[in-house]
Amino acid sequence: MSQGRAGIRIALAGQPNVGKSTVFNMLTGLNQHVGNWPGKTVERREGHFEHHGEQVHIVDLPGAYCLTAASPEETVTRDFIIHEQPDVVMAVINAASLERNLYLVAELLALPTPVVLGLNMIDVAQQEGFEVEPRVLQAAIGIPVVPMIAAKGQGVHEFIDVALQVAREGAAEPHRPEIRADHRAVLEGLLTLVAPYVPSPYPADWVTLKLLEGDQEVTELMRDQLPPAVWERVNSVLLTHEDAIIAVASGRYDWIRRMTRAALKRPRAGRITRTQRIDAVATHPFLGLLVLAAVLAVIFGLTYSVGGPMQEWIQMHVVEGLAGWLGTALASGPDWLRGLLVDGVLGGVGTMLTFLPILAIFFASMALLEDVGYMARAAYVMDRFMHAIGLHGKSFMPLFLGFGCNVPAIMGARIIESRRARLITILLAPLVPCAARLAVLTVLAQVFFPDSAMLVTWLLTGLPLVVLAVLGVALNRLVIRGEQAAFIMEMPLYHLPNWRTIAILVWQRLLAFLHKAGTVILSVSVIVWALTVLPTGEIETSYMGIIGYWLEPLGRLMGLGWRPLVAILTSFVAKENAVATLGVLYNAGETASALAPALRAELSPAAGLAFLVTQMLFIPCVSTVAVIKQETGSWKWVFVNVGMLALLALLGGIVAFHVASWVL
Amino acid sequence: MILELLKLLAVGSSYTLTSLAEALDVSEALVEQMLTDLERGGYVSTADTSCAGQCAGCPSSGLCALLHGKRIWTVTAKGLQAAR
Repeated sequence: MSQGRAGIRIALAGQPNVGKSTVFNMLTGLNQHVGNWPGKTVERREGHFEHHGEQVHIVDLPGAYCLTAASPEETVTRDFIIHEQPDVVMAVINAASLERNLYLVAELLALPTPVVLGLNMIDVAQQEGFEVEPRVLQAAIGIPVVPMIAAKGQGVHEFIDVALQVAREGAAEPHRPEIRADHRAVLEGLLTLVAPYVPSPYPADWVTLKLLEGDQEVTELMRDQLPPAVWERVNSVLLTHEDAIIAVASGRYDWIRRMTRAALKRPRAGRITRTQRIDAVATHPFLGLLVLAAVLAVIFGLTYSVGGPMQEWIQMHVVEGLAGWLGTALASGPDWLRGLLVDGVLGGVGTMLTFLPILAIFFASMALLEDVGYMARAAYVMDRFMHAIGLHGKSFMPLFLGFGCNVPAIMGARIIESRRARLITILLAPLVPCAARLAVLTVLAQVFFPDSAMLVTWLLTGLPLVVLAVLGVALNRLVIRGEQAAFIMEMPLYHLPNWRTIAILVWQRLLAFLHKAGTVILSVSVIVWALTVLPTGEIETSYMGIIGYWLEPLGRLMGLGWRPLVAILTSFVAKENAVATLGVLYNAGETASALAPALRAELSPAAGLAFLVTQMLFIPCVSTVAVIKQETGSWKWVFVNVGMLALLALLGGIVAFHVASWVL
Repeated sequence: MILELLKLLAVGSSYTLTSLAEALDVSEALVEQMLTDLERGGYVSTADTSCAGQCAGCPSSGLCALLHGKRIWTVTAKGLQAAR
């Protein structure tokens, strides 16, 4: 094969991180050149060396999982083997991940270049409990297999010996994967049609296989090569057998199973990892929910026990101190300026900022759970729970995204094909308590229920989910019937927390929060303050007072005055405004004093609970509403959603007030 | 084997790569490869778990990290049809 050329040409192939570069570096030493593949940003490494007096040129192909041309690495790998026709392909595979690595081998064997296998990392495989038999694998595939530990230089010499021998003498026909039996006739028929037109150097059977797989590059190549009448026939076959991709892939996976059946022994069932041990409980359908409930209870408990005293300290020493200083400094200044800064800015933004410690602990707890790998499990057990109560279907995945923010939840509904089901999902998504809503709940539960904030927060976090489940089950039975679909979630391994990562995350979130406090929350606070003093300077006769007058009858149903209702209304701009507005409204006309005592003095516990329930069920923020409009393309559905949630919030508040008045 | 996976998914439940690997008696890496093949054929789809720039400036946007960076797959109508 190498006759007529200067030396032997080798292609070094393999999936990423299999030790291919180690082999390349050991073989070439300093005789290597690094550049880029023409027209690609993929690195091209080639070199040369002498082995037993024979000149060898070797090209290190980029790491590729398969040869589908879905990535530049895959394209480069297959184009090089087809067009440059090396004498042999040295495929390095990871013994610890044998099955997946054999997938690439299955694709390499479909090309005419002979392949030799370097079974690398056999030490790692042994450490992980795998037993791989190189000789059995060699007999099964029908190509040379050389065990190696490239990192220690073991087996590399033998690997190149075998490769050069195959390059010189050729190799026996390997046992290649075959397309699933029910599609063999289709493959043969197609091969007969296209073979006369396949341009050199493409192998006709490989081109046929790729056509059936729907490979875009090969399809375009053959569309240009085939006479229109033949292409029409070929295209008709491809359209009829659109599922052939499964048949081709099936052939490869069945081949992998056959190849590894005798050659690979997996770790014994008793050998389970720490992650599996923890997951046996954390992702258990029932125990997992208990774990999640306990984790939430610990987070809320920690948030209040540590953050509560810090919040009071900031209120007392920073905000009130600053308010006193401003009052004195502006004593001779205009009243409106003092009112704006003390009541508007400090009353709104200042009040919000006193809760910074509570938010910091909340953010840190979430970041910690994310970093150690628990968050994905939390979503997973919730998904299983929702499946268990009958609300399943594709709507669930988008809904879960809503725990972070409702915006991606609504956008995620695009994966649902049925318009009706998609619409239902979009309408339900705002009921998933987003992080901002949870943060407001965390803050205000402490204000209304200082002694039982943890329990209240814990229960109210579940409330919108219960409402969602009830609505969802009903809608699932009536509307999304039959649309069951599975989800597969990737679970990260558990690991010890990286405190630096967590600190950076918390810092970024607090910075973003401060930015919002200085922009949206500040603006709304100033507007709310202005509405409380204009035009008369008295809150009762102000524009806000007039709005409050109209809202008062609604508030009475829930034991609330107009001020809390206005606060809920302003949360439409951003959820955090509920707190800032309460700060402005309860300090208006006075020096900034603590919000909590003022609220507790005006509202009974039952009214406080009604306020929190209303806040949790109320319409989402303006960004979410805008996305609902964008995704539904209709104002009608925006109004339906806003109306539905406003009604739910009102009913929820009324029920909570009356039940709590009776119980408490 | 890949058809077995598709049939399993068509039942409609929640899985992890680990639970699927156990059910099919293969490695998680191979299940991942099968999902890649199924996605290429339009039989499963991956969900976009990012905010897609919509929540820039939102103080809570970082909390979307609940699922950020995790891959989630779901079966398409074509996948369900093929499984049946």
